[in-house]
Amino acid sequence: MASFPPRVNEKEIVRSRTIGELLAPAAPFDKKCGRENWTVAFAPDGSYFAWSQGHRTVKLVPWSQCLKNFLLHGTKNVANSNSLRLSRQNSDGQKNNPCEHTIDCGDIVWSLAFGSSVPEKQSRCVNIEWHRFRFGQDQLLLATGLSNGRIKIWDVYTGKLLLNLVDHTEVIRDLTFAPDGSLILVSASRDKTLRVWDLKDDGNMMKILRGHQNWVYSCAFSPDSSMLCSVGASKAVFLWNMDKYTMIRKLEGHHHDVVACDFSPDGALLATASYDTRVYIWDPHSGGILMEFGHLFPPPTPIFAGGANDRWVRSVSFSHDGLHIASLADDKMVRFWRIDEDCPVQVAPLSNGLCCAFSTDGSVLAAGTHDGSVYFWATPRQVASLQHLCRMSIRRVMPTQEVQKLPIPSKVLEFLLYRI
Amino acid sequence: MDGEEKTYAGCEGPDDMYVKLISSGGHEFIVKREYALTSGTIKATLSGPSQFAENKTNEVNFISKVCMCFTCKVRYTNSSTKIPEFPIAPKIALELLMAANFLDC
Repeated sequence: MASFPPRVNEKEIVRSRTIGELLAPAAPFDKKCGRENWTVAFAPDGSYFAWSQGHRTVKLVPWSQCLKNFLLHGTKNVANSNSLRLSRQNSDGQKNNPCEHTIDCGDIVWSLAFGSSVPEKQSRCVNIEWHRFRFGQDQLLLATGLSNGRIKIWDVYTGKLLLNLVDHTEVIRDLTFAPDGSLILVSASRDKTLRVWDLKDDGNMMKILRGHQNWVYSCAFSPDSSMLCSVGASKAVFLWNMDKYTMIRKLEGHHHDVVACDFSPDGALLATASYDTRVYIWDPHSGGILMEFGHLFPPPTPIFAGGANDRWVRSVSFSHDGLHIASLADDKMVRFWRIDEDCPVQVAPLSNGLCCAFSTDGSVLAAGTHDGSVYFWATPRQVASLQHLCRMSIRRVMPTQEVQKLPIPSKVLEFLLYRI
Repeated sequence: MDGEEKTYAGCEGPDDMYVKLISSGGHEFIVKREYALTSGTIKATLSGPSQFAENKTNEVNFISKVCMCFTCKVRYTNSSTKIPEFPIAPKIALELLMAANFLDC
């Protein structure tokens, strides 16, 4: 079974440049499981990188220092977890002196998310009602979702535990913060529900989103915080309205469990990855499929796609430029795609990859593996065309239905709707 | 919505390094020829049989943003330095998209 379409010569595809690695330290005793790195994450302002190192620990490193280390010491950099347990090297961990933290979460960590009280650009207004966090400075939090259903919230600068959220009964498979700085956290769990927490209100649980018939694998906010996508077992892809907490629609099309989702930076596209060997790009406003990225050729029939086909896609991530996505599949490769081409532009070898994330500025892709390590590659960069930059600027504020009413020529309309 | 016209004039000769883009508002933008060639339309016009082609259109606006785009593209293509953000206000984005679509850049 081939990994690329027949017209492509695999040897001609460019290999990505490796930037570095963070290897998990050798465990004192060899366990069959518990070592996996299920999740990697970058802070929204690019200051920190976090990954679950297996064996209940989460490692937080200041990202710019980490990059510098890679350049100075070559590509190998073994992370030493012993020397820095919850250390506060600079008085109270001020923002200007970021330091490394190793956090013992008490249980296997399945999900991570950074939350910032500073809104990312292009978001709606935020109501500022502080209760616990009245420090008057920017808050950067790390939420960790554990195997026993608890969520622990840590302060990134000091490494201290701030909140313990208890309500889910099963593994917290994914966490995501609203990008508008409101510190609203959504958790997705194997107990078939998603819960919405308000961290500014002492972690009060605001809502339970019910609708999944099976495990929920992943969730993602749209960049304007108005929509949430949740994906799960039994082919489920749901879109929720986050003003009223109602379900907008189900997206049908996958043939197997859907395990990852990500919105484009302008909110006009939604990428989902599934065990049916495919990544689909949807228009979340209309529900249609715009692109399909295959990882197995010839494409499997629905019965084969719905079972064990050895080519499960584990993760997908959108780049900051809105033009590229990265996907991880079980055929030991990371693929970088342009959203308008059905063949990858670059690939990189990776065994047992489980999760991936682009850095905040889009220049680096981090991928976590089964043994708790993280690998980094330089992403394909190119200056976007002026047309694409205009498209992103328009789509950030205009959903599909409004775009369709614009008095513009049909070719430009199709371009704006990402249908070219 | 006022339409602007644009004329292309070579600066003192066909092989000269600079070209002058003139909007009907009278603003003249002198840019390096190499940069202006980022636009497929300008490239086709400039390499056509007549170097002093006149091209009237109602869709070309905001030529300063377009020139900035040319510079960005040439400077940062094949460069490993970080590509800076290119902010476009939503208000002008639609017209700029039409212009960019016309200029194929």
